Amino acid sequence: MVRRFVISAVLLGLALGAQARTRPHYGGTLRIETQGDPWQMPDGLARRFVLDTLTTANDTGVAQPALAVSWSSQNADHRWEFTLRPGVHFQDGAPLTGESVVTALNDVCSHGATANPPLACPWRTVRAVGDAVIFVSDTSLPDLPALLAQESFAIARQDASGAVIGTGAFRVTGFTNGALVLAANDDCWAGRPFVDSLEIHSHRTARDQWLDLSVGKADIVEVPPEMIRQAQQQHLSLLVSRPVDLLALTIAPNGPFAGREMRQAVALAVDRAALSNVIYQKQGEVTASLLPQALSGYAFLFSTERNLDRARALRGGASPSGLVLSTEDTTATMRLAAERLALNLREAGFTVQVAPPGSRQPAGFTLRRVHLEAASPAAALDEMLAQFGQNSTVTATDPARLWQTERSVLDNETIVPLLWLPRAWAAGERVRDLRLSPDGAPLAADASLEGAK
Amino acid sequence: MNLRQKLLLMFSITVVGLVVAVAWIVSVRVRHVFEGMDQQQTAALVSQFQREFSQRANDAASALDRMAASDAVKQIAFEIGNGGDASSYLQSALPLAQEYRLDYLELVAHDGSIISSFQWTARFGYREPAITGASRAAFLKQEDLPDGTSQIGIFAVRTVPGSDPPLYVVGGRQIDADFLKDFPTPAGTQVFLYRNLTGSFDARNFGAAAKDPGGVHFQSVVDEARNTGKNATGIVYLTKKRADSVDATAIPLKGLDGSVLAVLVVANSRRGMVEVQGHIRDVAFGVAGLGIIFAVLVSLWIAVRVSRPIEELARAAGEVAAGDWETRVEIHSRDEVGALARSFNNMTRQLSEQRDRLVQTERVAAWRELARRLAHELKNPLFPLQITVENMVRARSLPASEFDEVFIESAATLQMEIANLKTIIGRFSDFSKMPKPQAIEMDAREAVRRVVKLYGPALEEKHIQLGTSIASEPLPILGDSELLHRALSNLVLNAMDAMPTGGTLTISVARAGVVARIAIADTGEGMTPEERERLFTPYYTTRQHGTGLGLAIVQSVITDHNGTIAVESADGGGTRFLIGLPLIEAKVEA
Repeated sequence: MVRRFVISAVLLGLALGAQARTRPHYGGTLRIETQGDPWQMPDGLARRFVLDTLTTANDTGVAQPALAVSWSSQNADHRWEFTLRPGVHFQDGAPLTGESVVTALNDVCSHGATANPPLACPWRTVRAVGDAVIFVSDTSLPDLPALLAQESFAIARQDASGAVIGTGAFRVTGFTNGALVLAANDDCWAGRPFVDSLEIHSHRTARDQWLDLSVGKADIVEVPPEMIRQAQQQHLSLLVSRPVDLLALTIAPNGPFAGREMRQAVALAVDRAALSNVIYQKQGEVTASLLPQALSGYAFLFSTERNLDRARALRGGASPSGLVLSTEDTTATMRLAAERLALNLREAGFTVQVAPPGSRQPAGFTLRRVHLEAASPAAALDEMLAQFGQNSTVTATDPARLWQTERSVLDNETIVPLLWLPRAWAAGERVRDLRLSPDGAPLAADASLEGAK
Repeated sequence: MNLRQKLLLMFSITVVGLVVAVAWIVSVRVRHVFEGMDQQQTAALVSQFQREFSQRANDAASALDRMAASDAVKQIAFEIGNGGDASSYLQSALPLAQEYRLDYLELVAHDGSIISSFQWTARFGYREPAITGASRAAFLKQEDLPDGTSQIGIFAVRTVPGSDPPLYVVGGRQIDADFLKDFPTPAGTQVFLYRNLTGSFDARNFGAAAKDPGGVHFQSVVDEARNTGKNATGIVYLTKKRADSVDATAIPLKGLDGSVLAVLVVANSRRGMVEVQGHIRDVAFGVAGLGIIFAVLVSLWIAVRVSRPIEELARAAGEVAAGDWETRVEIHSRDEVGALARSFNNMTRQLSEQRDRLVQTERVAAWRELARRLAHELKNPLFPLQITVENMVRARSLPASEFDEVFIESAATLQMEIANLKTIIGRFSDFSKMPKPQAIEMDAREAVRRVVKLYGPALEEKHIQLGTSIASEPLPILGDSELLHRALSNLVLNAMDAMPTGGTLTISVARAGVVARIAIADTGEGMTPEERERLFTPYYTTRQHGTGLGLAIVQSVITDHNGTIAVESADGGGTRFLIGLPLIEAKVEA
């Protein structure tokens, strides 16, 4: 009996100890390094940590309650009413009200026209009625709850000093040693995060981030797609999202490319496989669609085959000169991809030069990397069309209608989708329970640090 | 230009010519020597550059050899050879190129496809034809770059030892400003590189020390090197100044196919040489200038020394010509000029003596002629006087009546002959007492008309036809009308005497330039040259009863009027006297 008791006690102690080691610990500072700007619109890391949206999207793109706890629509989705979560306060103690939400959304819409990429608010009016926020639109908006989950529509206000204040898990405390420091919001409606603070080091190159991670100076670093394979070979703790970034070539429909055939010749000349297999080290999903195959289910219908002979035939002996290909960001990989595309186009008879970094030379071609935040097909297509400046509005949700909408856009050959790329983050050994959002951003509020008090 | 000036000019030209010739020869010779040295220096530089170029090529090839034999590259070759994913090595060329300090590097698979390219990363998968040159010596290659430009590089190709299938490394170094900058370039030497881009040579260049101003100065040598494929040399003027010229040698840099990919121009400045040449030339010209000045001064001294006795001789000769036969020159030397001076002195002395003798002779001859003429003139009246006196002596024996008659006749004859003697004596007295003309303004035509009017009837009596030609416009002269009338009358009388059986007398007066020309011509027998020569000699006459004073008086009158008189005559062809009297307006104009 005693023996059985002792054995049971030992097993219970071991079990309790194991549970204690796996249970998240509060405290510590999580150090994150990133290449981009943490306040960059619309999805800068710091914005995600400080601000909340009315809804969030789950992995399937279905809207989930956030600052709004419920919503309903009337008049065939022309009118939506969102009920705010009660007891939510901004980080300066001010309560979240319908008026504050309306003010925040109106600010977003008023600045959206001049934002990059442009943001169009699909509703006609938004107003507050008590704890409810009413959206009225001229067209049906069946995906408005999912749309409001996008970071572009995060709810923010500015205090007297002009600082941005939200309702998120972290609040900005200032800059220390070149890092943006965020402190845990103890009164967050979603609960206090495990870590006490975040340090976000921005504008760090991938190699510097990697080096800092290896020497323990960083806890979470960004891993570009082309380095995922190498990170895996080095057995780093990686979190890879689904494809959320579209690499696409846009063609200005003017000058020698005013005709569709010339643009089609360009689309047929690009070698997507080389981009995916070599430059992005097989981490990209070759595509000719605006949506990933996993999201739309019909992306395979758009041909990704390269056809140089057809491209040359469509070119028809024309030799336009002074063609310039620019890139939206100046990373080495994007430039390499642009140079590869320029080589592809030269094979088809187009002499294209890649614009040097910082060049303001007008370019006929632009290589863009467009982020997809929405997780539902209709909202995603809507988002992508908006990103590429298309005026089409998606009002349907069935795949056939979506395909038709997308095809009508792509048939203009002004957008040449190339690759879908994931986002990836590498975490240090002491980081625990780190997850990524559906669009590939680290959820710092859920992470904890091993060894913290 | 006098003798002294001629001598000075001759000496100066000779000396200046000699100095200039010597200076020119020295200058040309110095220039030739310096340019030869400069060309030798340039040739040495070119040779040095070519050696340095070969050394750089060997360095690139050696770096590639070391890289191909390195463990890192062997590892890549092994993994790819064993089915490894070549895309993993996309960026492998970057660290390798940096480690081995190569500007160009490509890892190339056995099928020629590029696995990794340092200079153009995006070219992976494309073909690299240069692998056919594996294991060969370094070569030049034109490499296309992502920015659309092309560069020239020294390349080598190596196969990674032990790789199966073979893995190639193609690498090299860029020939650019940095490549040239490390060349051991002496001061004053510049190196430029012209690249052959898209069929035409790029005017841009890379200079070790400076850009080629304008980029076109070396075009001629560059084109020559490019067209011939051989070194081309020439002197290139960067500006109009000679000091800004260079000895340029263009060295063609050829690719594997023998085409000229670039031209390396080694430009050795000629400034130092030109400055030294200029310094030498300045010194030479300075010395030459001083020499010329000194030579001119010496020439002047010599010219003075040589010309002075001759000038004295000339001056003395002029004085002799002016009638001063007593002039003598000073003898300064014993040379030819001194002998000439002595001869001159002897000559003038002899001339003076001969003149004195001639004067004496002439004087005697004149006295003789005068005595003869006096004797002749006086003898003619004396003979009747003698006969008359003898008749009167014989008549004393006659009766008184007859005696009286004889006496009266004889007395008359005596008076007549004595009167004749007085006349003769009066003529001689008149000649010795020729009055000076009382000149007044008169018309030369009036003098002629007066003579024509006076002798017109007498001429008609002697059956001499008179022809006149008198100018229509006035011919004003300053003259004594009486003396001129006397002179013209003498000439008319002489003409009448010359035509005893008749003939034609022509008298004319007309303007002849600045003089009034009076011509009196007869158709008589004319004169012999000897007679014309002595025509105006006093007391010379060809007539039996002439005194020989008529034409002498005529000449005296005309000379006193500042006029001229000449005679034209041929034996048996008539005689014409021409008188020129200066017109008043001519005097005023003069």
